[in-house]
Amino acid sequence: MSRKAAATRRRAWAATRYHVIGLVTSLLFIAPIAWSMLVSFKSTTEAARPPLPPWPVEGFTTQSYENLAQYGVGIWTYAGNSLSVAAATVVVTVFISLLAGYGFSRFQFPLKNALFVLIISTVMIPFQSILTPLFLILTRLGLQNTLPGIVLIYVTLHLPFSIFMMRNAFDAVPKEIEDAARVDGASVFLMLRRVMLPLVLPGVATVAIFAFLASWNEFLAALILLTDQRKYTLPVMMAAVRSGQFGTIDWGAVQSGVMLMMAPCLGLFLLLQRYYIRGLTAGAVK
Amino acid sequence: MTAETATIELRGVRKSFGPVDVIHKLDLLVKGGEFVVFVGPSGCGKSTLLRMIAGLEDVTDGDILIAGRDVTDLDPAKRGIAMVFQSYALYPHMSVRENLAFGLEIAKVPAAEIRRQVDAAAEVLKIGPLLDRRPGQLSGGQRQRVAIGRAIVRKPLVFLFDEPLSNLDAELRVSMRAEIARLHRELGNTMIYVTHDQTEAMTLADRIVVLRDGRIEQVGSPRAVYENPANLFVAGFIGSPRMNIVDGTCLDGNRVAIGGTEITLEAPIPAAAAEKIKLGVRPEHWSAGQAQDNALPAQVEFAEYLGSTRYVHCRLATGDLITIEQRGGPEALPGENLWLRCDQRAVKFFAASGEARQGS
Ligand SMILES: Nc1ncnc2c1ncn2[C@@H]1O[C@H](COP(=O)(O)OP(=O)(O)OP(=O)(O)O)[C@@H](O)[C@H]1O
Ligand SMILES: [Mg+2]
Repeated sequence: MSRKAAATRRRAWAATRYHVIGLVTSLLFIAPIAWSMLVSFKSTTEAARPPLPPWPVEGFTTQSYENLAQYGVGIWTYAGNSLSVAAATVVVTVFISLLAGYGFSRFQFPLKNALFVLIISTVMIPFQSILTPLFLILTRLGLQNTLPGIVLIYVTLHLPFSIFMMRNAFDAVPKEIEDAARVDGASVFLMLRRVMLPLVLPGVATVAIFAFLASWNEFLAALILLTDQRKYTLPVMMAAVRSGQFGTIDWGAVQSGVMLMMAPCLGLFLLLQRYYIRGLTAGAVK
Repeated sequence: MTAETATIELRGVRKSFGPVDVIHKLDLLVKGGEFVVFVGPSGCGKSTLLRMIAGLEDVTDGDILIAGRDVTDLDPAKRGIAMVFQSYALYPHMSVRENLAFGLEIAKVPAAEIRRQVDAAAEVLKIGPLLDRRPGQLSGGQRQRVAIGRAIVRKPLVFLFDEPLSNLDAELRVSMRAEIARLHRELGNTMIYVTHDQTEAMTLADRIVVLRDGRIEQVGSPRAVYENPANLFVAGFIGSPRMNIVDGTCLDGNRVAIGGTEITLEAPIPAAAAEKIKLGVRPEHWSAGQAQDNALPAQVEFAEYLGSTRYVHCRLATGDLITIEQRGGPEALPGENLWLRCDQRAVKFFAASGEARQGS
């Protein structure tokens, strides 16, 4: 056999191995999601039976989704609550961490590092341990059992990480680009918006995704701070679905809830993933 | 196209970062249309001074005037300056065209006018075909052209360059240097240029400003600075390899003792009898031979061959290391003993304090 043929075979074998391993790994990750999805299309009675085979044998039906939609005051209220809480959390977190990150990165002021360490160190406090004081503060502010109240809590929880993220992002942008913008006549805010923001977008995307996922999925604070059923967010509502009504659990509804909760997260990832692509600052300097 | 030219005047300018004084009470007048180069060792405050003129750094004390107008407290954009940075500092997310247009856009120049000016600048710098690319898709030289283009479209009174060529390779540096010289000829603007590079300073400058530790050591034409350094620092800093400095003691009139050897000079030495004095002679003003009268004994340590010239490093009896430049002639071997003579008219005298003494 010629050396060339051997090389070709070796390359083919390497490619096969690469693809098989990749395929198996991705199957491992996709399987539970696919399972949930298949179950969510079973009828209510079928979903309650032993789970094999995982796909609906009595035909696809959207009955579970309809059941879920009827739940409590209606699924769209909960989804709306969750969405507005998550969106507001993202917007406020991004806005504050952008300005704070820029300030920490570029300005010199007394006690700067002490303040930064103080902010970061709040990450070390498990927030479950301060739920009671948080609850009391919100009550004092008249914000307990309101969505803005819970948004404030989420923003507070995410800011340390987000400010850290944004400071790093700004630190990575060379100072001379900013100087160039100043020579070009840009005011601080114009410079931030037109020059700096596009350069720290990967950082913003990261902050946004984390803030969204965490506030979208957060359960404990929402459970404790929101007492009115109409204010519930999806995780609280899902806990109620999962604990069942009158002793029976609608597994189909649970799985369709999982699908519903996953969809925006997936969408956000797909939307923002291109900002993870590195090298946006390539060519600015050196 | 010779634009109106602007003078730059620094009056008692000081800068401190906290307790550290970086620029000490500095006065300088740059004439309209002049090309001035700041040189000095790393950390001497060249960039800081340039950034103060640009308005990117606050002035601790003193005034800065551009075209007779006090700009000390004005924003960079309102000073009539444009700056080219060492790192190019292009906006990486914008195309070349957008990079050039950004400043004009902020100044609310009409779109058609922006287009015209950007195209004109692209024409001057031959970057027309690159206008739609991003900085990341350009070579180093092209990026520096774009950075210069961004400065040109602002139609500034004054161009400020902070080591614009130091990120380029040697060959590109030579051609960009010629390009900047051409630009200065064509535009006729006042330009201030910071560099580490001796050749850039010598070839580009109308006047060189030598800085050390935030003070001006000497201001003068390249020729004046090279041939008549004001003190030992300038003598050592300008010129490569550096000027050789030899310690001597003035005996009387025109005789000097250098490490036990007595040398008689043609002209009287500007020093009192028995006074210590330093003699500076550039490498090209030495000759080595076997003749022993009026020459210094030295031993060759090593030689560097550079093609057209050869640098021979010799140790004097006093312990001083002397570099001499040779063109042709027999090769000097390490360990060989030579007698060094210098061109007497080229000898510079410095007092022990470092100040130059005028010979006659
Ligand atoms: N923001 C700052 N804070 C404190 N000190 C500074 C700051 N910027 C510069 N310095 C100090 O000021 C001095 C002059 O710096 P500058 O950058 O002007 O030097 P330079 O002559 O341009 O040097 P180089 O040739 O290395 O570029 C240095 O000692 C530097 O440490
Ligand atoms: Mg510098």
